Amino acid sequence: MFFELAKTLTDAYSRRFARAVRETYAADEAYASTPLGRAGLAFLLLALLAVPLLLPGYPVYVLTLVAIAAVGALGLNLLVGGAGQISLGQAAFLGVGAYAASHLAGPLAPLGILLGGAVAAAIGVVLGLPSLRIKGVYLAIATMAFQFLALWVFNNWEPVTGGIRGRNLPPAEVLGLELDRAERLWYLVLAFAVPLFFYGKRLLATRAGRAWFAVRDNDLSAQVAGVNLTLAKLSAFALSAFYAGIAGGLLANLYRSVTPEYFLFGISVQYLAMVIVGGAGTVLGAVLGAVFVMLIPELLNAVVGAFGPEYAAALAAWRNVAFGGLILLFLILEPLGLVGLWGRIRAYLRTWPLPY
Amino acid sequence: MEPLLSVEHVTLRFSGVLALADVSFQVPTGAFYAIIGPNGAGKTSLLNVLSGLYRPQQGHVRFDGRDLDGRSPQARTRLGLGRTFQNLEIFRGMTALENVKLGADLRFGYPALLPRARREQAARAWAEEVMDYLHLAPYRNVPAGRLPYGLQKRVEVARALAGRPKLLLLDEPMAGLALEEKQDLARYLLDARREWGVTLVWVEHDLRAVMELSDGVLVLSYGEVLYEGEPAGARENPRVVEAYLGAEA
Repeated sequence: MFFELAKTLTDAYSRRFARAVRETYAADEAYASTPLGRAGLAFLLLALLAVPLLLPGYPVYVLTLVAIAAVGALGLNLLVGGAGQISLGQAAFLGVGAYAASHLAGPLAPLGILLGGAVAAAIGVVLGLPSLRIKGVYLAIATMAFQFLALWVFNNWEPVTGGIRGRNLPPAEVLGLELDRAERLWYLVLAFAVPLFFYGKRLLATRAGRAWFAVRDNDLSAQVAGVNLTLAKLSAFALSAFYAGIAGGLLANLYRSVTPEYFLFGISVQYLAMVIVGGAGTVLGAVLGAVFVMLIPELLNAVVGAFGPEYAAALAAWRNVAFGGLILLFLILEPLGLVGLWGRIRAYLRTWPLPY
Repeated sequence: MEPLLSVEHVTLRFSGVLALADVSFQVPTGAFYAIIGPNGAGKTSLLNVLSGLYRPQQGHVRFDGRDLDGRSPQARTRLGLGRTFQNLEIFRGMTALENVKLGADLRFGYPALLPRARREQAARAWAEEVMDYLHLAPYRNVPAGRLPYGLQKRVEVARALAGRPKLLLLDEPMAGLALEEKQDLARYLLDARREWGVTLVWVEHDLRAVMELSDGVLVLSYGEVLYEGEPAGARENPRVVEAYLGAEA
């Protein structure tokens, strides 16, 4: 009796929502083609819009950081997870975007952020050139060299970067409204991030994505399959740098200052960690990775803080150990990253509670 | 009429080793042309010269009225010279459908950073048609690397056919396949030739299949052409028999 009822209910649910039959190729390829998917997407967008209304200042600040990191991580994911080119220079591109944006701040901030993306993309093409000749670890070392070179430039090209002291920015201004707090800047971040996410998702699902994945899986036969290797690699580098540049520009407007220590080598490694923990080659992976890498330390901070100030110093080191351990645990238990985990949860829920 | 593919006096050396010595032959449009020979005869080297992976020291390759010398592999593919590999060069992390669509991009391409919904759908529809032909439709969403070997081979053929090549180079497409799979593959290839007018050039070790299917054959040994012409004639040619069976025969 109970089982029959449950079966009827799940059948009805499936018919209405989850497994709505996709009857055309177009519907099969569109995202959110089912009513449930559309509702979920709409809810997510509304929830994002409501964040500053629902949460107090500090969490919004942290979430803004997460959203900015997600843009940078998505860029890196197009390059690493998409085209299979490992880069340890994402922080340098953040820096390029941030410094460029710092020259067009205040009322021009949105333009400045775009400029940051454009300048970074141009430099990304240049960094992409060695990838036409070298691969794998060697390329990673080349991008690392670029990272250190960029840091040197940030520190020493004073007229443009302000040297070690860096540059300060006035608050961004949109339609006369000063975006002087994270609660306000959040919307500017969304205005950049949301279209960039949809664009990235579209790219990975269409011709560009196929060309990149082909280069990742086997660049020799990609060429024979008709992929223009030069174009595929350079476009991945340019786009990755563009996303990082935008993220850097947003970051500059959030911190309202730009100094070289925001763009140290460790940050590049952190971005690579986001890609790998989140799941290489997917948009969702970049977002989940950014959330994980940015939020877990915050949560661990809160845990450490709960023990009281007398233990804080002793526990601070353990916080890093726990963070590193969590990343390791993920890599071992779920090589596909958080995306793989999410996929399994979804597959389970789709047939819950009667899987057979 | 000019032959679709004509190879003129191609010589390829790897630092002293002569891989191809003055190889010349022609493949007419619509042929099912075989390249055979003992191991190390230079068959794969010849295919690599044709698809632009190796540069010969001497000789020319003409295809569809154009000189191919100096053109990159992808440029040759774009001109309609498709290729499959001996050691399965499919894209393992991509689904079967994505593999085939990558081939279809040759027909429905657009600037990659500006996704165009209509072109995508046209590519999808065409890729599905090709997959239907090769009975791959049920596996469309399986990552190609997880398919059984025979199906992976078929995905590679589908990817190459999706680009609507004028000429398809196949490097040992039947190696490692069971008899039924070989028969299926032969049927797919013959269908593709009839339906889409694809000229076929294949390197194959299964001599029975070569004799039954091909209408022209090139026999290589140590980089030299031993025989060129009708498959039936190869069997009677003393040099061919000697190369395959040894001098005593």
